[in-house]
Amino acid sequence: MAKNLSGDLQVASANRLVDGVVVWLDDAGQWTDRLARAAVSREARASEILLERARAEGFGVIEPYLVAVSEDEDGTLEPLSLRERIRASGLTFDAIAADAVRYA
Amino acid sequence: MPDTLLYRPQHFYRYDSYDRTLVAERVEQFRDQVRRRLAGELTEEQFKPLRLTNGLYLQLHAYMLRIAVPYGTLSSRQLRKLADISRKYDRGYGHFTTRQNLQLNWIKLEDAPDALAELAEVDMHAMQTSGNCIRNVTADHYAGAAIDEIEDPRIWCEIVRQWSTLHPEFTFLPRKFKIAITGSPNDRAAVRVHDIGLRLWRNEAGEVGFEVIVGGGLGRTPMIGKTLREFLPKEELLAYLEATLRVYNRYGRRDNLYKARIKILVHEIGAEKMREEVEAEYASTRDGALKLPAETIEAITQQFAPPVLPVRPPVSGLVEAQRLSDPDFALWLKSNVAPHRVPGHAIVTASLKPAGAPPGDASAVQMEGVADIADAYSQGELRVSHEQNLIFPHVAIEDLPQVYKSLAALGFAEANVGKITDIIACPGLDYCALANARSIPVAQRISNHFAGLARQHDIGDLKIKISGCINACGHHHVGHIGILGVDKNGVELYQLSVGGDVDFGQTAIGTILGPAVTADKVVEAVDTLVNTYLDNRSTGERFVDTFRRIGAQPFKERVYAAV
Repeated sequence: MAKNLSGDLQVASANRLVDGVVVWLDDAGQWTDRLARAAVSREARASEILLERARAEGFGVIEPYLVAVSEDEDGTLEPLSLRERIRASGLTFDAIAADAVRYA
Repeated sequence: MPDTLLYRPQHFYRYDSYDRTLVAERVEQFRDQVRRRLAGELTEEQFKPLRLTNGLYLQLHAYMLRIAVPYGTLSSRQLRKLADISRKYDRGYGHFTTRQNLQLNWIKLEDAPDALAELAEVDMHAMQTSGNCIRNVTADHYAGAAIDEIEDPRIWCEIVRQWSTLHPEFTFLPRKFKIAITGSPNDRAAVRVHDIGLRLWRNEAGEVGFEVIVGGGLGRTPMIGKTLREFLPKEELLAYLEATLRVYNRYGRRDNLYKARIKILVHEIGAEKMREEVEAEYASTRDGALKLPAETIEAITQQFAPPVLPVRPPVSGLVEAQRLSDPDFALWLKSNVAPHRVPGHAIVTASLKPAGAPPGDASAVQMEGVADIADAYSQGELRVSHEQNLIFPHVAIEDLPQVYKSLAALGFAEANVGKITDIIACPGLDYCALANARSIPVAQRISNHFAGLARQHDIGDLKIKISGCINACGHHHVGHIGILGVDKNGVELYQLSVGGDVDFGQTAIGTILGPAVTADKVVEAVDTLVNTYLDNRSTGERFVDTFRRIGAQPFKERVYAAV
């Protein structure tokens, strides 16, 4: 089955206040650093509610906002924009290692 | 022989008790602000300007701490501390930037005050690395050592630093403000593309003063600065700067973020009107408190007294023997070693651009290794270049083989300074919240493609500069080949320009070649540009010289036929 790329699916994301780590709001109203656990809204009204909820739970995070995602048939979520994919997956190259002496 | 002194005199400005108190108080102030933010006593809206004032940004994945390296000068002790902080509070590496600063990309908010407190131990801070204020003043990275230097520009950078630090009138300018100073006729500080560029030169009477260049800049609207004053007496520098900043503060636009830099003001009212306004303001202040007493200038100058280097033979048998037996060393001597004003010495550039590496990144271990080399062979001194490399300013010629060997062990002996793989690149979309496209992976692919040193040296001097958005932190407008990442309907595209330059007297904004190309075509496009140059060059011509002679059309035709 093709991915749902309509942009109707959304999750709420933010950066954690204490360390800036990327987080998403889960169904229990907790902030998680795993996109797979994010609560997904599937239509516009639900997205509004999700964002309101994210803001209500915003004490430990910075400026929550909605992120459009796709969902595979097995439920795997992937942000539609490259920026959000990078936020979810990390750097797209190998950062230099802390103890690196020579770059391979 | 290597100098292994554990303690050595410092040949640049040392904090006095005023500096130390100011920085220490600022750290404790920020510590309390962080505590209040974490306790919920401050909202993000209230806190954001406070953290930015202390160099703490929020990027895609984490907070980023931008540490000021004043005029790009570092002691080995300071570099070791940066390595230590990166290991203790970050992920053990840092990114040297096009503004001669260091960015740590994974700092925790709760750790930031401790990191700043440790920085203060070595007379460093992160103030004014963000916000609409006068930013860290940048300088020629060969300052204090260059053979063509008239005067050490860092003396004036330091005077400007002291004047501009927490200057109450210029803390909320219309937009950020960047000043660069060079003391050499061969500009290595890109002074014509700064808000204010200052060039020290000697007039016919033998006096040294400043050419004052105002209204340059890159970003969304690239502009080459206009000369407001051909010759400004040195002691009048602060009064003239204050007059210029006042005019900007009064007339600079605050209604439109994209039109707020001084370059737009100069462009809109014209250089002549700008000069009139500045001179009128200056007339009322030139003989006031900002006129620098000779003893003040002398006191700062003394702090930058150069190290006493014994005159040595200009040729070393050891170096010449290795030059003949080791082709890579011979290439390194050509590209990474520059003449020093003291015979028998040289300026050495450690390339932070080994093949395929993120430009400007160094691990904690590498930083410590560089500090060790500086202690052993360069009077414990270093410079950061805006081209994202590290410089050893004072190396004895006879020590070059050992420096090369030590750098090779760190991965920093690539003989590519000024060559096609000595790429400037901003952090791009992998880190930056403002970026539209990635920069580092593009730089890595180009670097790997052109990794062979023989070909790089055959191509000759060719500067590629890559920015991940129009803010142009990667200086793409002034790259011989400039690459600008853009987002078009969610797809990364890269706009190519050719013919940009920042060599003094030749400063030029590159010509956009045509439609942007997809990420997978960038290397092919750059390869085609290089081949077009190789097919058309005359003897002795660099890439940019050939471009100036034949224009953009031949490059354009070949690139778009190829991609």
